[in-house]
Amino acid sequence: MTTSVDSWCYVFGIVPAGAPVPASDDGGPAAGLRLVEVGEVAALVGSTPADRGLGRAADLLAHDRVLAAVVAAGTPVLPMRFGAVVTDESAVEAELLSKHQDHFVAVLRSLQGRVQYTVNVRYEQDTVLRQVLAEHPEIARLREIDGAADTRAAFDRRLRLGELVVRALERLRPAEAAAVIDELGDDFDFRAHHSTAPDEVLDAAFLVETARVEEFENRVEELARRHAGRLRVRLVGPSPAYDFVEDV
Amino acid sequence: MTTAIQQRRGGYVDRPSPSGLADVVELILDKGLVIDAYVRVSLVGIELLTIDARIVIASVDTYLRFAEATNRLDLYDKGGKDLPELMQSMTEGGAKGKTRGALSGAKEKVNELLSSDDDDDDGDEDSRPRRRPRARQAAQRRRSSSQDDE
Repeated sequence: MTTSVDSWCYVFGIVPAGAPVPASDDGGPAAGLRLVEVGEVAALVGSTPADRGLGRAADLLAHDRVLAAVVAAGTPVLPMRFGAVVTDESAVEAELLSKHQDHFVAVLRSLQGRVQYTVNVRYEQDTVLRQVLAEHPEIARLREIDGAADTRAAFDRRLRLGELVVRALERLRPAEAAAVIDELGDDFDFRAHHSTAPDEVLDAAFLVETARVEEFENRVEELARRHAGRLRVRLVGPSPAYDFVEDV
Repeated sequence: MTTAIQQRRGGYVDRPSPSGLADVVELILDKGLVIDAYVRVSLVGIELLTIDARIVIASVDTYLRFAEATNRLDLYDKGGKDLPELMQSMTEGGAKGKTRGALSGAKEKVNELLSSDDDDDDGDEDSRPRRRPRARQAAQRRRSSSQDDE
């Protein structure tokens, strides 16, 4: 099945040649996991049927699960973007590995002993909404007259209320986000994502040396403790350095 | 899989373990290395997800959700709790779940879409065409509203 012409190579990521291969499973492209090696580097690939699209929940979870297993084994990995499919192993060798070998070697060296953590900070909904009402009397007034009436005027008022609340939250964000970064420490390499949800303060990826993992986790915990009741802090990781690989 | 360190800490940080679908979507969509050797495979639902995950922007839906959330504050007001007291009870009572409320809509939507795609592995033609136009509309809405902002 894994060598059938009807299946393509799904590339999870680039690892050092000889790296341990995580256990295969039948979850999407995580079938028939193996290394395709050229010199010092290798592509970790699975098999995906050529006639089946990707993008189901199982595919996304498999992508993350396999790469998480690589990271858990302490192997440096350059994660591919989800959906990286190459026709066959010889194409992986020729077009992916041989062509970019020097670059891959350099990036893997820079990722050695480092993992990514993603920190997401959001407001506690009710707390921040109360703050907005307290700081903006005009919004509080609009809320007073916002009845449940099922009229066009009531709908427009509701829309206006929501818009003002969203704008107020967006004005709060820059200072809040800067304060959070400050508390976590800018001595870690980080990339802040563009925030889209109005009640999101910060979503950022941090590249953390394994020797400092505990220190970093303690800082995140301290941040969450200090702001409990006002901010909610989520921490995802350790994961592959998804945010720290540049295109070639 | 990545749980060894996660289990140790309890406390105030929310650490999904193992990472849920919404976190995976956030983590891996649009990220990671891209090279020029890719085969063009059909990416089921990905375009849709990418758009939906990012449109939590100033849209009518968002405004209405926040208006509703703001109006819902009445429920607490009637209980007569003031702000510090409320904050304390949230911290102590572990009421995190309760306070999430209406605003986590976007990620839930992503989850919903993903799991429905997952359910019908073979023929999801019937459900996709309906959603696609909506995602396009939303994207247009996003474009026009960001133009308004500038």
